Amino acid sequence: METRLVIINVVIPAIKVAVVLGVMSLAVAYATLLERKVLGFIQLRLAPRRVGFHGILQPIADGIKLLLKEDIIPDRADRALFILAPVISIIPAFAALAVIPFAGQSFNVLGFEIKPWITDVNIGILYILSISSLGVYGIMLGGWASNSKYPLLGSLRSAAQMVSYEVPLGLAIIGPLLLAGTASMTGIVRAQESQGVWFVFPQIVALFCYFISGMAETNRIPFDLPEAEAELVAGYFTEYSGMKFAFFYLAEYTNMIVVSSIATTLWLGGWLRPFPGVQALSFLNFLDFISPTLSGVFWFGFKVFMVLFVYIWVRGTFPRYRYDQLMNLGWKWLLPISLANVVLTALVLTIRHG
Amino acid sequence: MSAGSLGRKFLLVELFQGLSITLKNFFRPHITMEYPREKPELAPRFRGVPRLRRDPGTTEELCIGCLLCEQICPDDCISIVVDKRPGGKGKMAKSFIIDYERCCFCGLCVDPCPTTPITAIYMSHDYELSDYSRQEFITQRATLVDGHPLKRYEK
Repeated sequence: METRLVIINVVIPAIKVAVVLGVMSLAVAYATLLERKVLGFIQLRLAPRRVGFHGILQPIADGIKLLLKEDIIPDRADRALFILAPVISIIPAFAALAVIPFAGQSFNVLGFEIKPWITDVNIGILYILSISSLGVYGIMLGGWASNSKYPLLGSLRSAAQMVSYEVPLGLAIIGPLLLAGTASMTGIVRAQESQGVWFVFPQIVALFCYFISGMAETNRIPFDLPEAEAELVAGYFTEYSGMKFAFFYLAEYTNMIVVSSIATTLWLGGWLRPFPGVQALSFLNFLDFISPTLSGVFWFGFKVFMVLFVYIWVRGTFPRYRYDQLMNLGWKWLLPISLANVVLTALVLTIRHG
Repeated sequence: MSAGSLGRKFLLVELFQGLSITLKNFFRPHITMEYPREKPELAPRFRGVPRLRRDPGTTEELCIGCLLCEQICPDDCISIVVDKRPGGKGKMAKSFIIDYERCCFCGLCVDPCPTTPITAIYMSHDYELSDYSRQEFITQRATLVDGHPLKRYEK
């Protein structure tokens, strides 16, 4: 009995963490390849295709290159903070993955029931919001510890931007929370299952606000002012090289995947197939004959992939915002829209439920 | 601001137009050419390096040593020594040297060439000419007739 408890409480979670870390690291590496490929095709280029079949090994080659590169710490930099900053920026990015449900049904291995998520806390979305806000410390510390002009400017911009866009981001999330009546990530997906509709249909405005704010939170084009290469060389990681630079880079792409995963869970039905309420479409879970977990993972992965594609598509289309335009958009447009959405949703719910 | 343009602004019409353009481009074929694996299709009148050619019927050299190409060459890169054609009437080029280092690929040497129906000197479709020493670019008649050997990079 004692060993069984140890296995359930220690071994299985440790394995799950290891698997999620491993798979996500690989997914993040391949997100960079996806980005380069999609951007290349949009610009009628070929994109990387020298390493392996159609460039399939490019992320691995990049990783090896970055690991072997000389790691420079500037003379006047604050050494401790300089080394700490990339770590601080990557840990929250990966920590946010802890509450994301990758599939719905649990499966059995050797008589142990394994749930396809690391943990399911009843304040899952709050946990993600708070932990992802910590990422800005990495950027700010990185900019400050470099003891250099451009990184400092970049990190200042990043701090202002993140603080501004956290507000509409949080308000946009409240919409689906109100509909679901729970803050647990699995609870939100189950609510979409029982109500028979993805929340994207009643909450399209919230998804719109969330998507734009998420883009700004992850410092993506058209909101990449913290690293605007034309103005700030490379922004907050100008002085970084080698693996420390790669950490910032990986953190950015991990954040992208986390934002896409949240959008998938809250609005696009998580692991549910399209139209979960229509019985006739149940053949869409075609992986059910192997395991219902697998079809859940498939739909979750597919939706995250589509959101990532839109992310990159937007990057390939729009130019960068000016700083005042960025602030205008955040405070004068997204904040009122998301606030109005919250009020309207609450009003409709109150009227409907008496 | 009219109602129409206000509506366009609020519905982000222009942004979605931009997105549709990039999506269309996403599905268009690429225009990058993977040289040297793929090579461009050359136009019939493409001007590569000037070369000499033989009579396709008799495989005799066409050049009659008239020196017109040497005279018209703006870079002075052609030098010809003329001799009597052995076993026949008329003249031929005993040595025919084109200095590819100086050649500007203008094609002026082809215009005055008097041999008919095809000119003795012509602009070939060869353009891969890199080499390891400058001496290699002073091209002798044999190379001019038989073509430029393609050199690949070796460590």
